[in-house]
Order: sequence, then structure tokens, then C-alpha cells
Amino acid sequence: MQIGKLSLHSVKAAQRSAEKNNAQVNRLSTNPFGVSFKGNVIQADVFESAKKESATAGIVEKGKLFASAVVSGINNFNEAFNSRINSMVSFGKKITKDAFDTIERIGNTEITFDMTGIKNRLFPDRQYSVKNLTNRSVDELKSMWTELTPQEA
Amino acid sequence: MDNNKKIRNIIQALGEHKDSQAAIDLLTELGTNSPDDEIRELTAQTLIRKNTHESLRVVLISKGKGINDLSARVAMASINELLSLKDKAEAIKILDDTIKLHSEEEVRNTARSVRALMTFSS
Repeated sequence: MQIGKLSLHSVKAAQRSAEKNNAQVNRLSTNPFGVSFKGNVIQADVFESAKKESATAGIVEKGKLFASAVVSGINNFNEAFNSRINSMVSFGKKITKDAFDTIERIGNTEITFDMTGIKNRLFPDRQYSVKNLTNRSVDELKSMWTELTPQEA
Repeated sequence: MDNNKKIRNIIQALGEHKDSQAAIDLLTELGTNSPDDEIRELTAQTLIRKNTHESLRVVLISKGKGINDLSARVAMASINELLSLKDKAEAIKILDDTIKLHSEEEVRNTARSVRALMTFSS
């Protein structure tokens, strides 16, 4: 009889072997398609196992479903967050580009001051200095001369 | 600065202007026809200082302008300016042509007198 040969040591070894096998079986996913949701492979076994397992296994499966849902939720949150971040980054880039464009536009804009005109307004008599008049066109001088000449009634 | 002073400066500027022909035309149009003796005098002096054929013709052969001006002051100032020219060749040539060819006797006589003065002064 084999019973007679059973020892405490051999019984414990057999039990450890069985537990190990069960653990390996539980780690294996029965998800045959490697279903991914938005880039993330769903690790949890969301398919109903054909083989009914123990009450403990059911709880584990529910935990996995919950975890999977959480992962999905996190993914959704990440997506929304990334979308907002991207729009903020785009906005920042646009502002930066606009600022650079403005600076470039200012750099390319030629700003000129009519210094002669300003001087003439500040010092009205200075425009009648010979040096100033020599630099004017003859037509301008003609207009100035005509303005200074009293018109006959 | 009064208007007369401003006009004097304009005339002086026209005397030094790069666009010589346009300046002469303006001086002839506005300056020599001015009712103000002072302006006509300064205009005639400026035209003579330019010492070009066009500018000298205005003050030498035009009746009532330059040496032919009715104002003795303007005429004398013009003659003095002619006499002070360093190069009188162009002025003498125009005076000679005026003496020979001008239709107005009064202008010819004035040209002859000025020509004689220039001969003696050179």
C-alpha cells in the first residue's frame, strides 16, 4: 500500500507543487486576442472564462476588471490632459511666433523722422536760412517767395 | 525775420542753387519784376554774379531790367556788379551784340555806355 509509505515531507512537497501549478495557471491570461484599448493592452481577462472557478478567483477577476477600468479611465484622463497641454503648448508657440514676427516686423520697419520739418516747426525762421533754402527745389522756393509777396488787390 | 529779409535769402539761395537754369528763370520771373527796388537790385546783382549767357542777357538787353532799369539805384548797382566781374568776356560779347543788333535805341545807348566803362575798367 502506498498509503503506508506517505510521509509528512512528501505530502508537503506535493502540496507546494500543486499550489505552484495553480499560481502559474492564474497568471496566464485567457485573453486570446491581446485586446488593446487606446494603445494599452488590457491585461485583465475580460472574457468570461468557460470554466467556473472558485469564489476567490471570481473576486480576483472582478479586481482585474476594476483595474482595467481604472487603466481606461487613466488613459482617458491622460488623453484629455494631453489634449489640453497640447492646446496650451500650441497657444504658447503661437504667442512666441507672433512675438517674433512682431519683433521681426519692427526690425524691418523703416522709421524715418522728417528732421527738417521738425526743425522748421520748432524754429520757423530757420527754414529761411540760405543753407536750408539752397537744399530746396526751385519750385519750393517759388512757392515760398510767392507766399511772402503781398498779393495785389 | 521780416518778409524782405526772407526774400533776400531766397534770392541768395537761388544764386547758389544747383539747378542754375531754373533758378535764373525764377529770378527773371519774380525778381526782376518786383515792385521793390531792393529786390530788383539784389536780383540783378545775383544774375550778374552767375556770369552765364542766359543770366547776363536778362540784365543787359531787357528793357526796364538790370542796367536798363528805370531806378538809378538798380541800374548803378548792376553796372558796379558788372565792373567787379573777374571774367567779363561773356558780358562784353553780349554788350557788343546789343550795340549792333538791338532794336531799341535806348537799350543800345545804355549798352554802349556800359561797354565803354568796362573797357576802361579792365
